Amino acid sequence: MLTPQPMKHVRILSMREDLPQISLALAETESFHPDPRQPEEQQLAPLLDCRYQKEFQQARSRLDKIRQVIEGPEADLSEIRVVGLDELTEVNAWLGEAWESCLRHQEAGRDLDERMRLLEEQQAALANFAELNVGLGALRGEKRFLDFYVGVVPSENVRRLEGALGLAGHLLFQYMEREGVAHVVIVGPSGTREAELGSVLSAAGFQAIPLPQGLDDSPGAIQAELDERRATIEAEQAELQQAVAACELAFRDELVRAETVLTLAEPFVALDPAIRSSGSLCAIAGWVPARALPALEKRLADSMAHPFSLESRRPSEEERPLVPSVPVRSRLLAPFAMLVKQYGIPRYGEIDPTLLFTITFLLMFGTMFGDVGHGAVLAVLAWVFRRKLGRFYVFGLLAGGSSILFGFLFGSVFGYKTLIPAVWMSPLYNPILMLQLALGWGVLFLTLACVLTIYNRFAVRAHMAAVFGPHGVVNLTFYLGLIWGAVSLATTGQFGLIQALLAGGALAALAGYNWFHMQAPIGEKILVVLIETLETVLGYLSNTLSFLRVAAFSINHVALMIAVLTLAGMMGAVGHVLMVIFGNIFVIVLEGVIVTIQVMRLQYFEGFSRYFSADGREFAPLRLRRRAPAA
Amino acid sequence: MSGSANDAYLNTRVAAKATELFGPGELARHAQLNLQELGQKFHLGAILEEPVGEYAKSRAVEQALIQLLLSELQILIRPMNAEERALVLAWARKYALFNLKTLLRGKIRNLDAQEIRENLYDLPREVRLSNEDLFRTESAVELLRCLESGPLSLLARQAREIYEKRQEAFALEAAIDQRYYAELARRVNRLDGHAAHRQMRRLVGSLVDRADLLWLLRFRFAYELSASETFYQLVPSPHLMHRQRLLDLVALDDQAKVIAALPDPLRELLTDAGNLMETQRRVAQFSNGIATDVLRHGNSGVARALAYLILREENLRAVFSLIQGRLLNLPEPYVELAVGLRPAICVHRWQDAA
Repeated sequence: MLTPQPMKHVRILSMREDLPQISLALAETESFHPDPRQPEEQQLAPLLDCRYQKEFQQARSRLDKIRQVIEGPEADLSEIRVVGLDELTEVNAWLGEAWESCLRHQEAGRDLDERMRLLEEQQAALANFAELNVGLGALRGEKRFLDFYVGVVPSENVRRLEGALGLAGHLLFQYMEREGVAHVVIVGPSGTREAELGSVLSAAGFQAIPLPQGLDDSPGAIQAELDERRATIEAEQAELQQAVAACELAFRDELVRAETVLTLAEPFVALDPAIRSSGSLCAIAGWVPARALPALEKRLADSMAHPFSLESRRPSEEERPLVPSVPVRSRLLAPFAMLVKQYGIPRYGEIDPTLLFTITFLLMFGTMFGDVGHGAVLAVLAWVFRRKLGRFYVFGLLAGGSSILFGFLFGSVFGYKTLIPAVWMSPLYNPILMLQLALGWGVLFLTLACVLTIYNRFAVRAHMAAVFGPHGVVNLTFYLGLIWGAVSLATTGQFGLIQALLAGGALAALAGYNWFHMQAPIGEKILVVLIETLETVLGYLSNTLSFLRVAAFSINHVALMIAVLTLAGMMGAVGHVLMVIFGNIFVIVLEGVIVTIQVMRLQYFEGFSRYFSADGREFAPLRLRRRAPAA
Repeated sequence: MSGSANDAYLNTRVAAKATELFGPGELARHAQLNLQELGQKFHLGAILEEPVGEYAKSRAVEQALIQLLLSELQILIRPMNAEERALVLAWARKYALFNLKTLLRGKIRNLDAQEIRENLYDLPREVRLSNEDLFRTESAVELLRCLESGPLSLLARQAREIYEKRQEAFALEAAIDQRYYAELARRVNRLDGHAAHRQMRRLVGSLVDRADLLWLLRFRFAYELSASETFYQLVPSPHLMHRQRLLDLVALDDQAKVIAALPDPLRELLTDAGNLMETQRRVAQFSNGIATDVLRHGNSGVARALAYLILREENLRAVFSLIQGRLLNLPEPYVELAVGLRPAICVHRWQDAA
């Protein structure tokens, strides 16, 4: 669980015509991570004929776009078979026609939306005109001396348009603004500069609002006309929806086929960067978990028509940064693995921190948020919303479980101390002990982090860095000497000679190493070595003290609940109940979030930043990707 | 770090970086180098030795120089606050807009997806558009529809309506450029009260002035657009070419009158320019002069950082022109003309000179 799965570098030599079959077989095993590096043999070159890849990319893009318009069915993978270029081309051509059809529906929908928007703007404009005592019928139609334009324009273009129209001898009046759209009236001398004006209005996104024929009629008649136009648009929208539904039904079988063909063709396209060929021979390189290799070989032997050769070897030292790391596959650890992944991927050979992260996270979270009731609420909420939370619900269950466990230790149920007897004691009864324990935990945590750093560096053959580098053997010796001395000082009043020699000697070794490995003028060397040595001392000191927050939040949790119960005690019966309920909700939400952030901070900054290089590559095997249906 | 500490850090970084800019006469010396020497001097030797054609080499050099500039930008924006960073990134977004224009032209001309992709710049995350979605589109209208759902929605909607009516790229690209400079001017105005405001007004204003002046002359007198159409394409500058001045200038009907009506120092600089190319060269010198002044005498870290980036971009563009000139075996006078070492004289006189 802690050490990485051993990987093997695999090279398959086969006939070129077998490539689609090989890619499909490799995808079925889900254990082959393509290696795109150029092989040493100069004769092997990347595939030049990219028609298959091009057809696939275009077809996939078209299908994805179609799925945004109409519901896309899942692939039918009951039969796993090789997809040839001809079939792929045919599917792509059909998808092109289908997308054109969908695009027409999409455009028709947008056109109707636009008409509806303009109708609403028109309605708003007429409502505004209704308060004017002017014969608006005069604005409609051509006039002998004046041109009138009534319409809307994006608000941010108004000032520019006003300036431009001024140069063409026209005036612009803005009489209303709605949601970023300005309603304007433009007036100017008629007949002279219509083309020029049209060009400017078009560039400014001006849309004319048609004034209804019966503008001189009663408001009721105008409203009836607008309602009629609205009903027409709505009817057209309903008709369009029916057309889309009919289209969906008509395309269904072909879409299943297209999805199936593309799913089966995808492994070959994904494998493309790792394929090299020469004449009718080709080579494919990749990484395979050592224990999955026999199954992969058998699968290839079962499915291939022509002979093939499979060579495997252990990765070399130089290749180590390129080898992918197989992530932890455990349902319990999956949400914690996601949090580790936020920071980075473990480098191949390094310890995978997921298990340690899980244990230390739960211990610290429980200590800082220990309450049977609060933990139970977290666990129940995680269970109730498990569908929405997906794999993350396990995180809620375990965090809640840890809270419950520490709640029993502290004897706390929703802040009440008398409901159950404490297995140990409430943190507030002995805060000094809590702080001492938190410091002890910090020392243990930082020591463990340094040990892991040293192990990881030795594992990747970085011996000097393991001894002299940050958080290496010398750093750890200094830290342990310092802690030993501090404990002596606290218990006997003396720092101790051995402790001082250990800490001082390690610090001197560190300074000496920095001095000899730095290329800089002497003044800069003195400055940098002094500052770096001081930073080491201060860094370890402050990092250890940082763990005091574990005890502080534990005490804080109790103190907050005492405050809630005290306030509740000052109220009547109903107020008491309400205060207890809302006080608990407040504490669960606020403290739950803060404690999670604090624990993550300790993990990332005090732990991961020491021992986790996080620059590894994730194992991403070739597989048949099943897409969920989407509207 | 506090704001003043960040500013001090930024000023120090800019001062260190500024040593990489060309000194007086340095460009002229580089113009004497051959292709191999240029490759060595600017660490482009590996690209120039690749066994590929001239066009591919030229593209690779251009991409490498842009990446160099944008990697320096990424370093310089780190200590900036959100508003300052947004302004500097708004300046750099021109590269994303180059990509957008390439995509649009490609879609309008129905070019192959691979061909379009080969002509796009590879840009860092902070600057680039979400290319993949745009790339999947199969026509210019579909591309503009796709843009309508992003931050360029208003521009895209207007551009689509214009494109649907006129089916040509000019209005579209003019709208994109106009929007770019308007955004820069808007961001400078938002710095009101900020220590960098005055220097940024000069610096960014000079960029907008430069674009405005060239557009004004080109649209009004080369394309013969009306005063109102021309004004609509211009951007009121926070420096010299403010709104009222633009209104006055576009109303004039002769190029000489426009030059005569310009504010100093532009009027003095352009009085005997003679043609648009020379005007372009002199206006570029004018805005570079302002950037140099801000870099040397400015006290705002962000303004000096942007001034450095503007000058660095000019330098790298000149390097690209020199290399491209060598790759295409262009005569020396043409190359010197392209990098601004010679005044732009009439075509027949360059041919004589060549």
